[in-house]
Amino acid sequence: MQGDSANKSQETTQLLRSVAEQLKMPLSTIARQAELGQLTGDLSLTDLSAIRTHASAALTLVDCYLLGLQLIREQAALPLEPVSVSSLLVETAHELEAFAKQYDTTLELHIAGKYEPVMAHHAGLKSALLSLGYALLESYPVQQRGRMSLAVHRTPNGIVTGLYGDFEQLSSKAWRTALQLQGKAPRPFESLSSNGAGLFVAEAILQAMDTKLRVGKHRKQHGLATTLQPSQQLSFV
Amino acid sequence: MANVLLIEPDAVLARTYMQALQHVGHDVSYAASAQDAIAAADETKPDVVVLELRMAVHDGIEFLYEFRSYPEWQRIPVIVNSHIVPSNLEPVRVALQDDLGVTALLYKPRTSLQQLISQIKGQINPT
Repeated sequence: MQGDSANKSQETTQLLRSVAEQLKMPLSTIARQAELGQLTGDLSLTDLSAIRTHASAALTLVDCYLLGLQLIREQAALPLEPVSVSSLLVETAHELEAFAKQYDTTLELHIAGKYEPVMAHHAGLKSALLSLGYALLESYPVQQRGRMSLAVHRTPNGIVTGLYGDFEQLSSKAWRTALQLQGKAPRPFESLSSNGAGLFVAEAILQAMDTKLRVGKHRKQHGLATTLQPSQQLSFV
Repeated sequence: MANVLLIEPDAVLARTYMQALQHVGHDVSYAASAQDAIAAADETKPDVVVLELRMAVHDGIEFLYEFRSYPEWQRIPVIVNSHIVPSNLEPVRVALQDDLGVTALLYKPRTSLQQLISQIKGQINPT
């Protein structure tokens, strides 16, 4: 028991270290943008939409990170309820859209067909997808920018939802290695410039919903996704 | 004014730095990765390099080893402007400054645009 508690404490500390590092990005952007107009004497050079978008991202990330850390520390499970994955993806895409634009990326929403509700925690799933989205958008290699997809599709194992782009180098092995290196190495992902804290937070939140992130593929794009189980109860209604 | 090579993986921050440096009269070329930075240096012949160490695939230290291996780039001042906490750079500080010719180590969250501009000015017009 004591060993388990020590492991959780270490895991929390590692994640906290990663997220603190990660939050420097939007805060640095806000600080430098705020200085730009003052420095040049041309306030129109300060991109207010960039400040607003990054401040909003930072605030959302703080909430996602707090939830992730709380779930790890308390080893708590999130109560599952039937959630409409399609409408949750629409909400998530709406929140990520301005941030994607800052990084010259078009965020596409791929919801092909109709999906029955999935068993999830609405706020938890949204936090996980936002955290995943911010992390992947920020780390998207400049050469490959242009398009990223927030998508859902059906497999024999369940309903899979996640974010996909040109992340060929993000293999299952790279993801497993990164999970082992989180908080210990400054750059757990060789193919990403950031420390990937948002991905680890998404993973922690999803684990509290008894699922996890996996490397996946959707319409020739590569990314990270999670498998959710359809709500049996509502399928028969 | 100087020809500045900015190596910054974050596109939004890069845009901000470029606008500030161009405003004070510098010519700025930009690279988001170590590989692109070598090509950009070859093309633009920078007077000074501003470098983030934390990059995907090849990090800033790998870039510096490659960059300094070319005789014509051995004396170009390199300013490290990084998100890495200075205390975490202690183990490599000597290598960065003595072996790789880093002329200034700046902590990005605490370095204002004005401070970066002053550093660049100091590097191209040493007193």
